[in-house]
Amino acid sequence: MAVKQAVVVAAINMKKIFLIVAGFFGLLPVSAQEVEQDSTGVGYKKRVLESTEVDFLMSYYKQDGIHSAVSGGKGMEELTDITPTIVIAMPLNDDDVLTVDAGLSAYSSASSGNINPFDSNTPSPWQASSGASASDQLTALVVSYSHSSDDRNTIWNAHASGSTEYDYSSIGFGGGYTRLFNDKNSELSASANVYLDTWQPIYPKELQDYADNGNDLNGGIFNYFDVEGDGGTYNPTAFKFHDKKNRNSYSLSLSYSQVVNQNLQFSLFLDVLQQQGLLSTPYQRVYFADKANYYINEFQLADDIERLPDTRFKVPVGARFNYYINQWLVLRTYYRYYTDDWGVSAHTANIELPIKLNDKFTVFPMYRYYTQTAADYFAPYDAHSSTEKYYTSDYDLSKFDAHQYGAGIIYTDIFTKAHIWAMGIKSVELRYNHYNRSDGLDANIISFAIKFVRI
Amino acid sequence: MKNLLISALMLLALQSCSSVKEYQKQRINDPDMKLTARPGERFEINYQVYREASAGANGGKTGGGCGCN
Repeated sequence: MAVKQAVVVAAINMKKIFLIVAGFFGLLPVSAQEVEQDSTGVGYKKRVLESTEVDFLMSYYKQDGIHSAVSGGKGMEELTDITPTIVIAMPLNDDDVLTVDAGLSAYSSASSGNINPFDSNTPSPWQASSGASASDQLTALVVSYSHSSDDRNTIWNAHASGSTEYDYSSIGFGGGYTRLFNDKNSELSASANVYLDTWQPIYPKELQDYADNGNDLNGGIFNYFDVEGDGGTYNPTAFKFHDKKNRNSYSLSLSYSQVVNQNLQFSLFLDVLQQQGLLSTPYQRVYFADKANYYINEFQLADDIERLPDTRFKVPVGARFNYYINQWLVLRTYYRYYTDDWGVSAHTANIELPIKLNDKFTVFPMYRYYTQTAADYFAPYDAHSSTEKYYTSDYDLSKFDAHQYGAGIIYTDIFTKAHIWAMGIKSVELRYNHYNRSDGLDANIISFAIKFVRI
Repeated sequence: MKNLLISALMLLALQSCSSVKEYQKQRINDPDMKLTARPGERFEINYQVYREASAGANGGKTGGGCGCN
């Protein structure tokens, strides 16, 4: 009897799996048509996007820490970043939407300024340099196109992107396919993305001048400063310029979303990422424990730059669960497990509690916990051996925990009563978060987003 | 424990195929119930990608750009 019941349950579950797979590939008849008929019997379609929407977004980020990777895991990490961004979504017709996402990221960084700390008479890893590398600007553009089927159960999308900064440029493209089924209660998506990036490497100034002068100390900064040290002569024999300058990233993403009941829905995500090429950062110094130390003023001269494998395989798996508790309160949660072949594994847990103050204002406290193991190639300042093949003292690849907590407020008006010229204000979001990493890095982030709808 | 969690999630997914009709989705369609990050969250995800070794599985960008400062 029990066996018979088990067989019946298994058969039912197999049928459900078949329905999910068949639904994804469009093999099932569609039950929910979006083509409706008016009182005269004439069919019409609801537009995917009723009118043009414009988002203005901005963030201000400020961090500080004591483990600068540019100075080998020791030194100030002060950084500020401002990111004005505009996103315009335009309906091309009933079914097609074109989205343009353009942004800047303008930063000033004490850490990267120390790629060349020798523009000061007293170079130090604890003071900000005024050199050219102390600030930069990333410009990014993404153009996306999406097409929805008449029944709105199938969505195709494609995108192309590009970004550029002083020493780095990236182009990307990709596409995806989404299938809704089960009365739009289930959704399966698959997408693929490719990013082709190129470095224009810049190196720590002392290594650059050492190599430019035929592995000798006659030239460049060595004409202006005296090198002090443990005896002998500064001779970073491990250093050589990178041959490869490309960094390519390939990713496949799958996601499944399900409405469970009138109050609960969830999503599952799986990404598979492969990176190839120059995966280390050319201006991040490394100091070897088995080599003599040499200084110009307080600044220790590099033994080499960070060296990392030229491939990396990453697998993150994530899930979101959102629960509508009551008309005042919603629970939003997110979890991710991550692993890669550099030895890093990580857990991320996120919780947010939107509280509706009235029909227009919602406040939401939030908390995020993050923990990761160290990459196999990480060691702190002056702890690597010169006999190792790969090494880095970048604390972003170290073992640490991080806590992020903050709050936000959202104004929403679906009727867009408030407007500026022909653009109605649909929503305004302001959020603040404090980020604290167990290695001493602290950051504050303020983000602002306003959405306009053409009326 | 991990297998138990995966089994529970799969069971939940399979059991959940009962249909919620469009007219019953007022709560599901609430803006706070969206299964995506909020617009203003994109910057936090960006900084987290820069400051942490892991990335992905959150609907955000999975490559491109240096992120090395």
